[in-house]
Amino acid sequence: MITYSLKRIASGIVLLAVICAAAYALLFVNGSSIARNIVGDQATEAQVEAKSIELGLDQPLPLRFLDWVGSALTGDLGRSWFGTLTVSDALTTRLPVTLALIGVAMLFVTLLATTIGTLAAVKRGWIDRAVQVGAVIGDAIPGFVLAVVLATVFAVQLGWFPAVSSIGPGAGADAWIASLTLPVIAIVLNYVTASAQQIRSAVIQQRDRDFVRTLRSRGLGESEILLKHVLRAAAPAGLTVLSLQFVGLLGGAVILERIFALPGIGQLAVTSTVSGDIPIVMGVVLYTVVIVVIVNLAVDLINGWLNPKVRVS
Amino acid sequence: MKLVSKRVAAVTATMAAAALVAGCSSGGGDTGGGSAEGGGTLTLGILGEPTSWDPSQAHVGHGLQPYQVTYDTLVLRTADGTLEPMLATEWSYNDDRTELTLELRDDVTFSDGADFDAEAVKANIENLKNNNGRQAAQVAAVESVDPVDDDTVVLSLSAPDPSLEYNLSQAAGLMGSPETLGTDELISTPVGSGPYVMDTAQSVSGSQLVFTAREDYWNPDLQKFDSIVLKPYEELTARLNALLSNQVDATILDASTAEQAEGAGFETLEDYQVDWQGLLLLDRDGTQVPALADVRVRQAINYAIDRDTMLESILRGYGDPTQQVFGPDSGASVDELDSRYDFDPEQAKDLLAEAGYADGFDLPITAGPGFETAMAALTQQLADVGIRVQVVSVNTQTFLDDLTSGKIPVLYQNLFQGEPWVAINQIISTEAIYNPFDSTTPELQELITAVQNGGDDSAEEAKAVNEYISENAWFAPVYRIDQVYSYNADTITTEKQTQQAVPSIYNYAPAS
Repeated sequence: MITYSLKRIASGIVLLAVICAAAYALLFVNGSSIARNIVGDQATEAQVEAKSIELGLDQPLPLRFLDWVGSALTGDLGRSWFGTLTVSDALTTRLPVTLALIGVAMLFVTLLATTIGTLAAVKRGWIDRAVQVGAVIGDAIPGFVLAVVLATVFAVQLGWFPAVSSIGPGAGADAWIASLTLPVIAIVLNYVTASAQQIRSAVIQQRDRDFVRTLRSRGLGESEILLKHVLRAAAPAGLTVLSLQFVGLLGGAVILERIFALPGIGQLAVTSTVSGDIPIVMGVVLYTVVIVVIVNLAVDLINGWLNPKVRVS
Repeated sequence: MKLVSKRVAAVTATMAAAALVAGCSSGGGDTGGGSAEGGGTLTLGILGEPTSWDPSQAHVGHGLQPYQVTYDTLVLRTADGTLEPMLATEWSYNDDRTELTLELRDDVTFSDGADFDAEAVKANIENLKNNNGRQAAQVAAVESVDPVDDDTVVLSLSAPDPSLEYNLSQAAGLMGSPETLGTDELISTPVGSGPYVMDTAQSVSGSQLVFTAREDYWNPDLQKFDSIVLKPYEELTARLNALLSNQVDATILDASTAEQAEGAGFETLEDYQVDWQGLLLLDRDGTQVPALADVRVRQAINYAIDRDTMLESILRGYGDPTQQVFGPDSGASVDELDSRYDFDPEQAKDLLAEAGYADGFDLPITAGPGFETAMAALTQQLADVGIRVQVVSVNTQTFLDDLTSGKIPVLYQNLFQGEPWVAINQIISTEAIYNPFDSTTPELQELITAVQNGGDDSAEEAKAVNEYISENAWFAPVYRIDQVYSYNADTITTEKQTQQAVPSIYNYAPAS
């Protein structure tokens, strides 16, 4: 298990290096325009040039990348070119918001999807059909429409929740819960049926397996078979789709962050990419890859713990 | 489905219960204005926050307002555009308008304790010139800043600049504590002499910026609140919802959301026009689109546009059709010019035929995001007179480079209607970024020089420039747009700021 984890971490580091290099190279496709964008439309050519030199945009790309790597290794990710913060400050204030949003949402998605998926697999009938239909609807409704409707009804009209985030410095748990509830509901409604359907298929598949028949023949109760054996065997399929959803949401939550004005990492990623705020974009890339590697590793470890057969392979 | 909805309902109910408690303490409620003595908190939903608190990085319009919270300017520009004393008590030019002498207040300190004096003015203007700010052009004409004594300073100019006094009420007039200028600390924390100081413990970039009133501020009349909170909301929906749910006292909306705010009982500032929108026919020498070299073709484009219909269908009437680029508040607008090119497709076709383009021609028009409906309408209207439009999408990252390097022959753009000299340097002079092909004629050059040397009459002189570019159809303006600035009249009052996208911070007061 330890060797396995170490191997995964090593491959994660390689992945990190490759993605950072690729992102850095891609970002500088429009390198010359960045200085112009920073100094703005009233600036003279001389000003643009001075800015270029100040930011090192006149240096060759490999040299700049090595420079960035060197600083990054010492923990210095630089300063935003279009904002008041250092990259580390910008990310550390925003990351908790996004992680809380996605973490809580995925927790609810996991619990609900497992319950609904299992029920659909076991009971079949109308529940099953509802999950199938729900999966299509959940996929078809764009997240932002759901978010706008939720905000309009529950925040603006009913006033149950703040319409825009009230998460700020020193905000208590109450502000966090109030600000995250609607976006969490939006994510859950959007994602739960798709996961439930995956879990449903996996459970149906596992219930037809020989070991289940053997367990039945030994006189075990249906609920014991389901909870102790079938669900455990079906877990990898469910976990895979959940981890994919989690990773997708790291960037995909940006629309929700914008509508609810949540100061999260998705908004930062989009605005900094559009403006060409390279230090910030690189910080976002770095943090995101690390999170993705950790999530994947955790999913693998949980799978191994649930299902010893996975450990062997 | 029953099972699903029950569970979702249960979860919702639990979270809602917790949030109800939270809602009372964190949402709204903090807009405590309304007491007769003033005070309370002013909470504004803003479009974006400063990229740096170093005053040299300040911008105009939206970009200026946050700086006004914590920095004073040398000159105060009142709501109607009148220039009044602020840090400078009086100012005067020499005869050829190349030296501006400013008398300064002697009772002002910065929030770090440093004194405001002539040396501080010198340090700030040099900081703006050397620190590569977005508005460094505002002091481009200033060659040197020479303190005469502690409270007198002389700005020497390379050539007259009719907008300099105005600029000193804008980015060029913001005064930061000299010791802090150019430092990393100043990027994240402002140090000015203004009415409020940033509460750094409560402020987080991207979420909220909190300012509290300075106790010993020299002009308590400008300090109408106990604190000011700025909340950056890039998304229009977020600004609308924040206003509707009383989480902010005022914010900027647009024509598509104005009715919703008005329907919910919020006030909108009236007759507030700052920007014009339309076509910039940049390639007037025909380098890329030969047809544009013929003035009759450019005039035909103007005749082909049905401005009234576009105003109603795209802006829902939130604006006024216009055919000139100088705004009514600039002093350089000419009423007759607004009917120079009334919608007349037949006239457009005749002009095109005279110019040898009876069969029309291909016209690439570059347009940014948000102008899709306007471009659809223009494409149709120009097609009706035979001009085949290809819409080219703006690449946001390379736009300014593409523009300055002459890759954009025609641009559909939203531009600010500033003071005449500001507008000339933005869209008309050969130095202007929106004149990338350096179009000019000796006649126009003469008219521009007259504006530059016009002193107090420069706006009057600019009328001739306006007439010239209108007759030569440099542009095809469509309309002036109403700023939709909405506010909660139960908590605050506010007043529009002439030629500025949002009210100056001094224009807000608690509702009585």
